[in-house]
Amino acid sequence: MKTLFACAIAAGTLLVSPAWAQELIFAPGVDGRFSWESYESFGASHRLENQALTIFGPWRGQDQTLAENVFAYFAAATGAKVSYASSENYEQQIVIDTHAGSPPDIAILPQPGLLSDLALKGFLTPLGTETETWLRENYAAGDSWAQLGTYANADGERALYAFPYKAELKSLIWYVPENFEDAGYEVPESMEELKALSQRIVADGATPWCIGLGSGGATGWPATDWVEDILLRTQPPEVYDQWISNAIPFDDPAVVQAIEEFGWFALNKDFVLGGSAAVAASDFRDSPAGLFTSPPQCYMHRQASFIPSFFPKNTRLGLDADFFYFPAYADSGLGTPVLGSGTLVSITRDGMAARAFIDWLKTPIAHELWMAQAGFLTPYKAANTDAYANGELKKQADILMNATTFRFDASDLMPGRIGAGAFWGAMIDFVGGKPAAEVARAVQSAWNELG
Amino acid sequence: MKPLRRFAVHLSALVFVVAWTLPSLGVLVTSLRDRDQVAVSGWWTALSSSSRMQVYRVPEDKGEPVDGRYIVTGSLPGNGEVLIAWGVSSLQPTYFAAGETANLTGGGTLRVEADGSFFLSGTESFARTHRQRIFYSVTAGPRLTMENYANVLFAAGVGRSFLNSAIVAVPATVIPALIAAFAAYALAWMRFPGRWLLRLIVVGLLVVPLQMSLIPLLAFYNSAGHAMGFDPKSYIGVWAAHTGFGMPLAIHLLQNRMAGVPREIVESARMDGAGDFHIFTRIVLPLTFPALVSFGIFQFMWVWNDLLVALVFLGPQDDTLVLTGRLINLMGTNGGDWAMLSASACVASAVPILVFLALQKRVESGLLGIALK
Amino acid sequence: MRPLLFLGPALMFLGIYQIYPVFASIWFAFHDQSGRSYVGGTNFQWLVLSAEFRAALVNTVLWLAVVPAASTVLGLLSASLTSQIGWGRIAKMLMVLPMALSSVGAASIWKFVYDFRGAGLEQIGLLNAIVVGLGGEPQAWMALPFWNSFLLMVIVIWMQTGFAMIVLSAALHAIPAAMIEAARIDGANGFQLFFWIIVPQMRGAIAVVFLAIFVITLKVFDVVLAMTNGQWNSKVLAHLMFDLMFRGGGDLGRGAAVALVILILVAPILTWKVANARAGKDG
Repeated sequence: MKTLFACAIAAGTLLVSPAWAQELIFAPGVDGRFSWESYESFGASHRLENQALTIFGPWRGQDQTLAENVFAYFAAATGAKVSYASSENYEQQIVIDTHAGSPPDIAILPQPGLLSDLALKGFLTPLGTETETWLRENYAAGDSWAQLGTYANADGERALYAFPYKAELKSLIWYVPENFEDAGYEVPESMEELKALSQRIVADGATPWCIGLGSGGATGWPATDWVEDILLRTQPPEVYDQWISNAIPFDDPAVVQAIEEFGWFALNKDFVLGGSAAVAASDFRDSPAGLFTSPPQCYMHRQASFIPSFFPKNTRLGLDADFFYFPAYADSGLGTPVLGSGTLVSITRDGMAARAFIDWLKTPIAHELWMAQAGFLTPYKAANTDAYANGELKKQADILMNATTFRFDASDLMPGRIGAGAFWGAMIDFVGGKPAAEVARAVQSAWNELG
Repeated sequence: MKPLRRFAVHLSALVFVVAWTLPSLGVLVTSLRDRDQVAVSGWWTALSSSSRMQVYRVPEDKGEPVDGRYIVTGSLPGNGEVLIAWGVSSLQPTYFAAGETANLTGGGTLRVEADGSFFLSGTESFARTHRQRIFYSVTAGPRLTMENYANVLFAAGVGRSFLNSAIVAVPATVIPALIAAFAAYALAWMRFPGRWLLRLIVVGLLVVPLQMSLIPLLAFYNSAGHAMGFDPKSYIGVWAAHTGFGMPLAIHLLQNRMAGVPREIVESARMDGAGDFHIFTRIVLPLTFPALVSFGIFQFMWVWNDLLVALVFLGPQDDTLVLTGRLINLMGTNGGDWAMLSASACVASAVPILVFLALQKRVESGLLGIALK
Repeated sequence: MRPLLFLGPALMFLGIYQIYPVFASIWFAFHDQSGRSYVGGTNFQWLVLSAEFRAALVNTVLWLAVVPAASTVLGLLSASLTSQIGWGRIAKMLMVLPMALSSVGAASIWKFVYDFRGAGLEQIGLLNAIVVGLGGEPQAWMALPFWNSFLLMVIVIWMQTGFAMIVLSAALHAIPAAMIEAARIDGANGFQLFFWIIVPQMRGAIAVVFLAIFVITLKVFDVVLAMTNGQWNSKVLAHLMFDLMFRGGGDLGRGAAVALVILILVAPILTWKVANARAGKDG
């Protein structure tokens, strides 16, 4: 009776479950890359002995450990008791909690659209003009970051409600350099070369792409990134902005064409591992695995900078895996656009500890501590770039700096029910075989229904 | 009965049983298999040997100079598996047989033996060349392991969640059973105006969908918590919620049983001057105790298996997350890691299944009580 | 006074957890998405016009047409089969076990059965392995519109058949042996016996089982949530309600409107149950 045995083991572990007791992974004051003085002075000015701070965020699995490692310093510096929670369907959880009036102190969400809904309903606390000014002055491209966290309340007054912390670079294609070497492939410099490379890989009898759209309750979102990245490469940024604000309809020919261009990659059964049927069915977290198998099941994977968290254990970036910029069309005259996103921190229940947490995010140390771990980019100019854990992160920072256009993830900026609903569903329908124009029209009609 | 017909009956029953157990069996078997094998072969092949392809990177080592050549030796990772073939290029991962020697493009040679030991040799130090990848394919016999269970129980927080589920489920079973027993007695044996209406309401409430209650109730909790200064998300809150949601079924079930107690017994006790409390605790409750147990089993299983109520009224925090919530999170963060998922599913299901098996008689009579009364 | 003492706590719980939410939902259904301002029938107007709602309604009707009937028929069949064999008890026990699982657990079991790998890769999902073994193309089952709903229904049928079987086999045993014997002497064969004597005798039990599963089916949402989250056109009303209320900022008004539709759909059963309870007044 194996279940019985398992049960016995379970009973045995009941008493040894670890409580929240976090060690500081970098001893304070030791490593010179970190701005320890900001840690010390923050702790001196923010005393929160035994105050509880609950944080709800999107990070689970390995990311959760990284985040909690950073929060541990906040706890150690102030004496506050920090507890962090996440959930697979965190978008739904936060809606339930805020509507019912039992929110966490701090909510961290990657969707500005959802936050703007919450701000409209009065569930968020404004962070104040001082913080807004701070963002504009201290973040690279600070105006656009401040804009990302600025929403209207029920009276239509706009204010800063969310503090961007942790940036993601989306325009990246991941690959295994040695697999490229073995097969004699070069990193493509333009979209035309990328397409030619895809065709060449097929001609060689292999599969160029691994694409997975599965993501539990958010299934479909990886495809929205593709479409946005492509739209930035086929249209001037103004069109992109109009698309987000619905100044041009969702089924505008420019958008439909971008969706179809994504289809060029995803709907060709020879181009994608498992054929296009596998695109919607495979989980985005599992989909890069094909890069690392023997023999490789695919050669390229387009995904944001966070994806190495889901690579096989012990994968060394720069050696076992690397990335290149998702290239622009050679003669489009649109330069090198970059798509990104950011996680946003907002106060869902006002209090001293919550305010202190926002202040904490203004210290360089709060950024450096995560930079030094993995998968963290920041636009904060005062954070020491030497703290980046590896050359890969620095390389990403370079892509960010070289961008001629930088735009945030459109699906995050659209109203929640569109960007985190209809758009996802449309992408699933599209890879399921519906025409691009039809799925785009469906999104527009959902937008019309918002009322 | 004719033998042919008998055979057909047995066969059809067998088909039913197999169809109903096979899906669960798949998960149970998978939970006991080696993680690497789970990913590449179906669970029904658990007892046959399978081969798989691996990649290994030679460790950072500039090499020992021997007779003017630099030598690196080592061993490919593997648990006594047999190496069939190997290669040095991702395009031809099985180009060489064990014992053969490959000439490397960067200079030097590589030999891999059947036992997995390798021998890298070059005229220059390996310090500056990049570390060689070795592709290899091995066959492994069937391997059953408890490793997956150890992983989920000790590393993934399942142990903690197991405890949380128990903390939630036990009081959430006992409290409604007690409260409902009193109410059921009143409905069955006490005379008061509005009794019939109340019985009808209880029956009607059996069909109200639960999800619509969440936001109004949580809002209520918060205003009450605010007014009286308690945390709206607590074990007490979730116990109360389960009590409320389980109440109609509990009253319905118990009232039917209690009404079935022979009238003469109750009447004669009344004649002897026994009060309602006495009749309830000394006569009716002992006689209907089995029904109470039946309800308890269902309520326990329902609470143990619940996700929504616990998430909403207790929250997703690590220290309060229940087992079902943990399982959903694992399904998300581990996507297709079926070794891990299947082990967590088995752990989560072990308790209700054991309860079910141990109290099977009571389960059956409980089901009949729900359905036929 | 004394009845109130006995009933008090139960009434309090019923009032707070069962009756208050129903009224709160009615109130929400006529208010905007955050439940602040009155909007009249706008939410219901949206329901009528919304393609999303229509799709969910169609799927729900499909579920209601298939799941209760299939579970009852399979339950009856298995009850009849297991009553005729020596190892019937064990067979019954194995078939009832899925009832003990959580929806999440059941969903993970079936996710594994329906697992899909691209053509040419080794299938580890049972269904695709069978399909490939028979020479077919592997399918991403959950992404097949229309058919995916049936595959989701299989999960609920799988979970509910045990319940139907237990109740129906008790009813089967309650049929007087003499009646069956008499029919057999009159020359009735197996099928005639089953359809003309046994089934009519069990009418009541069959109705109860059917309706109980009907109500369960109408409330199913976690299986859908775990398997497809309503994508690929697999949404049902209970899931749509959850989705409207909690996704993308939350829309309490429309969510509550859908909840009322579900309530209206269970109303006939409610009436039937109440009528039954009234009939059993003297029992």
